[in-house]
Amino acid sequence: MSRPAPSPIYTLRGAGGPLNTLHFSCHGRDTPLLFSGSGKGAIHMWNLNSRRAQKIVEGHSGSSVIWVSTLQATDTLISQGRDMQVCLWDLSEGRSALMDSVWTGSVGFCQPSMLETSPGTRLLAFAGQQTEEPDSGPGPLLLAGYEDGSLLLWDVTQRSKLSQAKAHPEPVMCLTFDTNCLRGISGSSEKKLSPWMLDRQNNLQLQECVTLVNPGVSQLCIRGDGKLLASAGWDHRVRVFGWKKLRPLAVLQYHTDMVLSVAFSDHQDPRQRLLAAGSKDQRISLWSIYNEGGDTS
Amino acid sequence: MESLAPNTEVRLAVAQCFRTLTTSTDTKDIITTLQTLHSYLEEGPESRTTSVQRAEFRRAHFTRTLQFLVSNIQADWLRGLTATQRTELWDGLFLKGPPEQALLVLMEGIGELRASTNLDHLVSITEKFLQSGRLAELLWSYCLETGPSDSPQLRETLLGRIVALPDLAANRLHPKNKTLFLPQQYHPLLATNMLTALERTCQALKDGTDCSLTFVAQTLGKVCIQGHSGLVLAVMAPRLSACTRSDMVWQRVCWKLLENVPQRCMESVLTGLVQAVNGPDALGRIIGNLVLTNKKAQFVITHKLLLLQYKYETQVLRIVLGYLAADRNRRPLLIQVLRSVSQAWANPSAVKHTPLEQQLYVSKALLLSVSLLRDSELQELRSELLQCMLGGMQSHLDSSVVRIRRMGMVVGECLSSCMDINNTKLKFEYNHDEESQELLSLMTPVASDELEAEPANRVDCPPETGETTPSTQNVSSQNKSNTEPDSDLDSDDELTPYDMSGDQEIMEAPPPRYLRDCLEALISSEDAVRVELSLRAAEGLVRKNVFATREISVQLTKVLLHMEDKYSINSFLSLRQATMVALTVIDSVPVTRYLTTEFYSLNYSLRQRLDILEVLALAAQELSKPINEKRNPSMGISASMDLTLYPGDNPVHWQQVVEKRIQSKTKRLGKGATQPPAEATPNRYAPVAGHFFFPLLSNYDKPQVTFDLLGGDHLVLGRLIHTLGLFMHLAINAPIAAQMGCALLDFVWAVRYHVDQMVRRGVLFAVCSVFLSMPSQNLLVDLSDQLFETRTWLADVAEGDPDADCRNLAVQSLVVLDKSLKKQLQDQQTLSMEP
Repeated sequence: MSRPAPSPIYTLRGAGGPLNTLHFSCHGRDTPLLFSGSGKGAIHMWNLNSRRAQKIVEGHSGSSVIWVSTLQATDTLISQGRDMQVCLWDLSEGRSALMDSVWTGSVGFCQPSMLETSPGTRLLAFAGQQTEEPDSGPGPLLLAGYEDGSLLLWDVTQRSKLSQAKAHPEPVMCLTFDTNCLRGISGSSEKKLSPWMLDRQNNLQLQECVTLVNPGVSQLCIRGDGKLLASAGWDHRVRVFGWKKLRPLAVLQYHTDMVLSVAFSDHQDPRQRLLAAGSKDQRISLWSIYNEGGDTS
Repeated sequence: MESLAPNTEVRLAVAQCFRTLTTSTDTKDIITTLQTLHSYLEEGPESRTTSVQRAEFRRAHFTRTLQFLVSNIQADWLRGLTATQRTELWDGLFLKGPPEQALLVLMEGIGELRASTNLDHLVSITEKFLQSGRLAELLWSYCLETGPSDSPQLRETLLGRIVALPDLAANRLHPKNKTLFLPQQYHPLLATNMLTALERTCQALKDGTDCSLTFVAQTLGKVCIQGHSGLVLAVMAPRLSACTRSDMVWQRVCWKLLENVPQRCMESVLTGLVQAVNGPDALGRIIGNLVLTNKKAQFVITHKLLLLQYKYETQVLRIVLGYLAADRNRRPLLIQVLRSVSQAWANPSAVKHTPLEQQLYVSKALLLSVSLLRDSELQELRSELLQCMLGGMQSHLDSSVVRIRRMGMVVGECLSSCMDINNTKLKFEYNHDEESQELLSLMTPVASDELEAEPANRVDCPPETGETTPSTQNVSSQNKSNTEPDSDLDSDDELTPYDMSGDQEIMEAPPPRYLRDCLEALISSEDAVRVELSLRAAEGLVRKNVFATREISVQLTKVLLHMEDKYSINSFLSLRQATMVALTVIDSVPVTRYLTTEFYSLNYSLRQRLDILEVLALAAQELSKPINEKRNPSMGISASMDLTLYPGDNPVHWQQVVEKRIQSKTKRLGKGATQPPAEATPNRYAPVAGHFFFPLLSNYDKPQVTFDLLGGDHLVLGRLIHTLGLFMHLAINAPIAAQMGCALLDFVWAVRYHVDQMVRRGVLFAVCSVFLSMPSQNLLVDLSDQLFETRTWLADVAEGDPDADCRNLAVQSLVVLDKSLKKQLQDQQTLSMEP
């Protein structure tokens, strides 16, 4: 007899707009934080202990925030909005000062990707109409998904295309990549998730698709220990799969509108790990699943 | 004078011995005397006695001597002997002389002596007697006919002693019985001794001596008729089968042996034998053409084993029919058997009145015998078989029992494929289960070598399973080896999935929010999505808004009742049923009035009428349950899904439901007040029970053009009675239960001996629920005149109904009735004693 479907441990309300992006920052801090970017241009910094918004940063002049991230080891926030700006914020000591901003000129929804090769050296990829993801290797490699449904692997230093694969008939909405086992997965607006492998010759090899019940995936996220994959579905549900075999494990039903973003937290103690899902219904739900036995590996 | 001399001489000597034994106190004298007696039994050249004297002693004095010894068993001189002397001189006498006399004296002694060391002594001598193979000696002496020409009485007694030794010993020794005397030990021993006797007979025949097997055959017959054929033949049959394979003399001996088995024992010997041999060829070698020469054997083999009894396994059928088919002379019997079996199979009365197991057995026999026919014989029998097939198929397919229908289909398919009618074959759609697979497999003959090759395995596992088991093991081990390399890398397996049944496709359009919208969509919409959404939403809306429901309940019920699954909606039937149940529950009186009226009106299909019954039954069940605080609408659907859509088509399930209900009820009666009282909630069913129940009782005997309840539509009749029984059962503690019970009992009385077992089951269920639900005082007062007849009828059914379920239900009813009556009578007694 299978266990009944889980329910969220708590929810965060009051973002005032659809939640396009989520980012945990719990590693090496006193208070675990969750950053969220809303469709109304606000970046909320949620304190997960008090479960309240600790700070709200309005920086993209009311345009939708589509990506937030923090830089390691510093209280620095980086965000991208639909006002064609990528902004860098200093959050230390309670400030929220704009440090820098870059004008991208992109009107798309593509999220940028950041690679920190060493402290102080960061590489940020943002582009016209692409979704991107970096990969460490001999030279920085960049994976990009395009609206024609294909995936491209770029060598950044050579500025050359290494491999190409047609993963979906529809635009690639999201992709994620596990650098440990060189496997990635991408989602589209259809009923399929398409996993793929990167072999030693840096060729992309498509694997057997996973079929979903309802079409549309807006974000995919792999948990830090490489065991779980979560997908944010347009059907209001978050699906959890085992990452190795892509076995469906759970369907998280709470939201009443499209789920736009999912993120796994980077808690040091694996038992505290959370899964957050942000939805168009302006709520963030937090779930604690598969944390019991996962602490061994 | 000269010829008489040895006789008198021996007599005098023996008398002298007896005198010495009774009077003498000197141990030496005693020993000498016993040695003298021994000398009469010792063969060989150094013997002190002549052969004439020995023969005379064996004939006339041996029994007397032994009886004398037994009667003097507590004499002092016996105590004076040492243990070795006693064993050698005293016990030895029993083990040396003619074994039949010794056995008779021993058994007599055991029968007479009370429990004592003397009895133990005799028992140990008997044990030695059996262990040293004296029984074989005994049998062999009768084979040679050297034994005295005995009277029939003596022979009968001897046979009785040999065969019933375990019983006699057990009766006398009670818990101190020896393991050797247990039937499990003794009968195989007896079988080995018979085999030894037969072997010596073979040897003697080869040497040119004549032998008689009458006594061995009589022993065999007597053992078998006393019910020990399994033990004895389990030892004998494999050996006989092996010996007869190459040796003609052995074959002759076996045939002779079976010819000599007394007529009245023939049946038990043959039935034991067909179960013990491992193949038709072995049976043929052992019994030869007995079936042609012996009328009784013919009757048993060709008729009784096939048509009258049905307890044997398929293997036995295979052996019997294979035996008939194996020989040219026996072949006409196979044709004759096929004719009678096909008639039995096609007989419509047999389909109705014989137990299902027997029909299965006859079907197997039919298929096996058809598979054994040659082409020429098939051509000859074709018209008869065709007739049998057509008639039999019809009567099988008419049955309301699924297994019988399926049996008819399988047999029809097999027969038609055999007969090759213009290259056309019958082909039915049915669910393959073990039973149908077995029937189909009968058409492919098993090579007889195969059967003979592994006689040891045959009993515990047929060859097919022997092959499949290792292969599945291989598969699983392959699977394992496939997954094993992955498993250490793969951690998915340690994550147990959650319940994902809620993960359904999301509809594009929003579901209707008002019940009236639903109704309109269901009536007029051509849009498949809208209809589906309305149907899915309907149950929840019905339950949510009671007042809106009351306004249109009958109308919606009408629409749903006539609705067809035009768009092949997923789980259409259960959705429709759940909604109708919800309507009936919310607005019971008008909806039940509508449904019960429609049940008897024109222009409905059987399916719709069955739907009506099911909806009413489910609604009554729901009404009778206490109201849950928070009623989850999805729970309603799943709960009704439990009671599958077609309970009538699934006898096992149906039976389980009935059984469960009865069990739970009987327990409650027994426990009474010991159960913790449940929280009191109003029974919603009790006030409306009559609306469910009584309208269905009227009109049942008015046949419509399209619907004749008492005629051909007994499927509906069975369901109707069962549903009525259910209403009755649920009406327990309702004030109206007494009237309902009387009416129901009256109603079912007319159909209590219906030909269809489904109807009979329904009737018995209804009767059972009447007894359960009616208050016991009403049972006595209102039904007093009917109770006696009902009891007689129930007892009759419990004893003689061909259907096992009916018998069980009748027994249940009787038990419930008795309990109820007893309780009532006791209550009355206490009441009358109180004032």
